[in-house]
Amino acid sequence: MRRLYSSALLGAVMLVASPVFAADANRGKTLYAACQACHTEKDDALGPSLKGVVGRKSAALDNFRYSAPMKRSNLTWDERSLREYLTDPQGKVKGNRMPFSGLANATDVADVIAYLQTLK
Amino acid sequence: MATKLKEVDAVMIGMGMTGAMMAKEFTMAGLRVVGLERGPDRRPHEESILPRIRDELRYVQRIELMQDNSVDTIAFRNSSGQTALPIRRWSAFLPGEGVGGTLNHWGGMHWRYLPTDFRIRSVIRERYGASAIPPDMTIEDWPVTYDELEPYYDRFDKMCGAAGKAGNLKGRKIDGGNVFEGPRGDEYPTPPLKSSAGAVLMAEASRSLGFHPFPSPFGASSTPYTNIYGVQLGRCEYCGFCGRNTCEANAKASAPSHIMPVLRGDPRFELRTHAFVSKLIYDRQAKKVTGVLYTDMKTGEEYEQPANIVVLSAYVFGNTHMLLTSGIGQPYDPRTGRGLVGKNYCYQFEAPATAFFENRNLNPFIGAPGDRMVIDDFNGENFDHSGLGFFGGGYIVGGSGAAPPIGGRDVPPGTPAWGSQWKKETVRWYYRAIEFNTQGSVYANRANYLDIDPTYKDSLGRPLLRLTYNGTDNDHAMSRYLLTKVDAIIKAMNPTTYEMRPRPRNFTIVPYQSTHNTGGTMMGTSPGNSVINRYLQAWDASNLFIMGASTFPQQPGYNPTGTVGALAYWAADKILKDYVKRPGPLVQA
Repeated sequence: MRRLYSSALLGAVMLVASPVFAADANRGKTLYAACQACHTEKDDALGPSLKGVVGRKSAALDNFRYSAPMKRSNLTWDERSLREYLTDPQGKVKGNRMPFSGLANATDVADVIAYLQTLK
Repeated sequence: MATKLKEVDAVMIGMGMTGAMMAKEFTMAGLRVVGLERGPDRRPHEESILPRIRDELRYVQRIELMQDNSVDTIAFRNSSGQTALPIRRWSAFLPGEGVGGTLNHWGGMHWRYLPTDFRIRSVIRERYGASAIPPDMTIEDWPVTYDELEPYYDRFDKMCGAAGKAGNLKGRKIDGGNVFEGPRGDEYPTPPLKSSAGAVLMAEASRSLGFHPFPSPFGASSTPYTNIYGVQLGRCEYCGFCGRNTCEANAKASAPSHIMPVLRGDPRFELRTHAFVSKLIYDRQAKKVTGVLYTDMKTGEEYEQPANIVVLSAYVFGNTHMLLTSGIGQPYDPRTGRGLVGKNYCYQFEAPATAFFENRNLNPFIGAPGDRMVIDDFNGENFDHSGLGFFGGGYIVGGSGAAPPIGGRDVPPGTPAWGSQWKKETVRWYYRAIEFNTQGSVYANRANYLDIDPTYKDSLGRPLLRLTYNGTDNDHAMSRYLLTKVDAIIKAMNPTTYEMRPRPRNFTIVPYQSTHNTGGTMMGTSPGNSVINRYLQAWDASNLFIMGASTFPQQPGYNPTGTVGALAYWAADKILKDYVKRPGPLVQA
C-alpha cells in the first residue's frame, strides 16, 4: 500500500515537472517535517503557506508579513531558485527572516522540492 | 466591590508552563478551565520571529519578557538583622511574565533529579551517621520517589521533545549518557544537540581524568518532532538566544509554542490576560479556597472567580506570597523554627570559570545551551562526602557555543573593563573562550526564608514578599570543591590563561546568577513538616494545588524545570483519577 502510494505520487510529480526525475516526493514529505512547525495553513503560522509555492513569485501572499529582503528579492520559485534557497537560505536571500539554516544534502533538497510540487 | 463571576471547574493562577500543562490535562478530561495571567498574551507568530527575537539589547539587557517591578516585586536582605529593600530591577534572577511565564526564557537545561536527591536526609544519615546533618541544615526527604515520578518525567520529556542521550535505560547503563542518572523508562524523544567545539575539548579532558562526560540534556527538539498534544515542533537552529528569549524555531519548550496552539481553540478553556490575582478566598472552616480575587490591570476592575479546583501556578515568589497574604498556613519563624509557609527557601549556587585558548577558533556565535558537555561525577550523593565538611554538589558543564554579540565577550583576567585596550582584547578572545559552570545545590538552612515585608507594598496595596537569603558555609565549601574539579579539567586542556570565579561571600541581587529560586510552600509527609502533600495539595485547603519549584524541600545540583514538569503531570494524574471523583484530602493528615 505504502509503495503504491509512493509511486502514484512520484508519477504525479513526474507529470508536473519532468526534470526532477530522480526526486522522491514521498521522502521529501518526511523531510518536510522540518518545515512544518512553521509552514502550516493556520492563521497563526510562523511561516507563509507553501500551497502552490512552486511557480509563485516571492513574497506573494497578502496575509503574510514578509521581511524586506524577501520583498525585494523578486524571485520566482522555480526548481532552480528553490534549490538555491533551500541549500542556503541566507546565501540566496540575505537577511530574510526564516530561522532555518538549510539542507546540506542535494538529494534532500531535490526531494523536498518534489514534495513542494505536490502541494496545490 | 468585586463582580462575582460564574463558577468554573478549575482556575489557574498564572499561565506559565505548569498552568498551561494543568489546563491542557484538565480540559482533555472534560473540565471547564479559566486561565488567569497577570501579564500579556504571547503568541509565537507575533513575538518569536526574526529578526526581533535576536535583539539582545531588547531581551537580554532590557529584559523585556520579565515581571514589571513597578507593579510588583520582592524585598531582599541577607540576614534577619537587616532591613530589606525592594528589588527595583531584576538581575540575579528573572521571574517572567505573560503567557508562558518564566519558562519562556529558560535556557532549556532539562534535568531529572537523582533517586538519592528525593531521600537526601535519609541517605546522608545512612551513609555518614545519624548526627551528620548540622542542626541548622533543615533538609528533608521528598514525599515522592524517583521511581514514582519517572513516568511523569517521561511525559514531560515527550511534551517538550527534549534532546539528549540516556545513560541508564531501565537499569542498563549506557556509555556516553549520564551513567549516574536514575533508570529511565525511555530514551529522550530527540537525539542530543551537536556539541560545540569547546564542549568536545572539555569532554576529552574530563575523560582523561576518569570522569564521565555526556551531552547536556536540552528542553528543545533537535529534530522535527510532534509532541504528546499533536503540536508539530521545529528543530533547534543553534541561534544561541535561548537564555532570555522565546524560540524562533518552535523548538525550545514553552507554553506558547508547545501547548497553547491546541489549548487556545478548546471551548472548555478560557484565557484571561492582564488578570492579576491578589488573593485566594479562603474558607477556614471548610478548609477550602472558594475562589480567587483578581484585578483586571487594564480597567482596574476587581472580579471574584469561584472555582472547584484552584491551581496556584505562579512563580515561586507569587505562590508563597499568595498563601501568606491569604492567611493559609502558618508563616515560618526562623527564631522558633515553627511555621512552614516561607520555610526552606533555596537557590542555586553556581560558580563559573572561563578558559582562553590563543590558537583555537571556536566559532562561538553558533550554538545553544544544549551544545555543552557535562559531568555528573560530583553531584548529590554521586561521590563520597566523608571528611569533606559539606553536603551537596552539582554538575559541571563546559562549552563554547551561543556567545551573544553583547554579552558573550569574555576577556582574560587583568583586562581593562572599557576603552581601546578592552576593545582590542574582546576581538582577540571572542573566538577563543570556553565557559564552564558548576550547578551547585543549595541545602536548606533555617536562616534562609520568605515572609512578609513590614514596610513596602505593591501596586495593589499588598505588602511585598521579603526574601532573607545568604550563602551558607556548607554551600560555599561545596562550591569551592566543585571549582577544584573545574580547575583540574581546565588544566588538562592546557589553556593560554583562565579565570575561576568563586561566589562572593555574601549573596547580592546583581549580577545575574540563576532564576532557580525554590521552596516556600514545601511538600512533605504531614502537616507538621510541610505546606502541601505528595500530590501538591495544600494540607489546609483540599481544593488548592500548588505547582512549581516552591514545592521543593531543597534544591539539588540541577536546574529545576524537569522536576517541576514531572510533579505537575504527577499531580494532574492523581487529581483526574481520584480527586475529581471524590473531592477531599488525597493524603490523610
